Amino acid sequence: MSCSEAVACRRLVRRFGERAALDGVDLAVAPGETLLLTGPNGAGKTTLLRVLATVLRPSAGDVAVAGHDLPRDARRARAAVGYAGHDPLVYPGLRARENLELYAALYGVDDAAVGPALARVGLADRAGDLAGDLSRGMLQRLALARATLHGPEILLLDEPTAALDAEGREVLDELLGEAGRSTVIATHEPERFSGRGWRRVELRAGRVAA
Amino acid sequence: MSGRAFRALLRKDLVLEVRGREVVPAMAVFVLAAFVLFRFGLGGETLAGGTRSAVGVLWISTVFTAMLGLLRGFAAEREDRLWDGLLAAPVDRAVIWAARTVSLLVFQVVVQVLALPVFWVLFLQQGRTPSYGILVLALLLADLGMAALGSLVAGLASTARAREVLAPVLFLPFAIPLVIVAVSLTTGTIPPQTTGSHTVTRLGFLGLYDTVFALLGWALFEYVVEE
Repeated sequence: MSCSEAVACRRLVRRFGERAALDGVDLAVAPGETLLLTGPNGAGKTTLLRVLATVLRPSAGDVAVAGHDLPRDARRARAAVGYAGHDPLVYPGLRARENLELYAALYGVDDAAVGPALARVGLADRAGDLAGDLSRGMLQRLALARATLHGPEILLLDEPTAALDAEGREVLDELLGEAGRSTVIATHEPERFSGRGWRRVELRAGRVAA
Repeated sequence: MSGRAFRALLRKDLVLEVRGREVVPAMAVFVLAAFVLFRFGLGGETLAGGTRSAVGVLWISTVFTAMLGLLRGFAAEREDRLWDGLLAAPVDRAVIWAARTVSLLVFQVVVQVLALPVFWVLFLQQGRTPSYGILVLALLLADLGMAALGSLVAGLASTARAREVLAPVLFLPFAIPLVIVAVSLTTGTIPPQTTGSHTVTRLGFLGLYDTVFALLGWALFEYVVEE
């Protein structure tokens, strides 16, 4: 299903055993577009983001990310995606800088990018701290630095405002203001992003609500 | 990119172990305690006089110690829910397996460096020591096989609910041929039971075992960690 959309899902199904967390989702995100994904707990928002991040395989249907079909071209899609999940996805036993150096190696990014990435989220002076010693808000900022370290063309954010402090919200706003990137934000707080003209799609019971 | 990713993942495992000291101390205490229990619990004289029994103690303890290490394999990824970060990265998943295999191998070698002198003191008599070179080679080959198999099992168990039960159940049956050959190989190097002609064949078996599980780990890891 290769196409020009940043993200395209057609009749996407993802099952966990007998239960379908996603039950025929049709969705498209244009290049440069930001989409707000809303819905109650258990609606399938996180599952959808994890499928788009190639962490979960789709059970049925067609999915393409950055023009790469999943799961066949998952590895190429991964290079184009930055994913910040519920958890910060950083090792508490590694320093902030070491965490980003690890992900820089995994994404083929020069280590020189780590310093500026930490500075961008206001953690330059905490680079030598163990991630486990950082506050929840700082961890969220470190997670944003990790997800954007490789300059992804598509950003997937799962509840990015949870536990963010004022400085973190500024960082997030700055990231979301960068032009040219497609972003999908799963959120319980769509009002937090109101007034920006972003399209909103609601999931209910694994389907796009009418 | 894979070489750099491998080095970064290996470094991560080693740094976390140096800082957290979760795996190696537990393995070392376990193997030393096992030696002492076998020595005194089963009658020291019998074991010291029966070379094969003593060698059996060494290898059985080695296998169970390796199992302890594999149970902690991917513990950080599981307990801190970090799998998504690794799986979303554009790196061959086999590289994740390879880095974990080498870190497990390093842990096992460190533990054996500590444990072997104790084994010598407790179980072997003067003049009845195995060929050091062959024993070290056998241990390294066995460690590599157990680490390759262990990383695959740890990856599989990391996403399962009853992982503490599943990991030994998957690991131990595959370790049986390794123990049989390793005991026979080691016993055969201790005078007067020296059977040099079979040594190469048995070392070859351990090499083949390593190759098989290295290939299986490389090929299957992607499928065992994907949901």
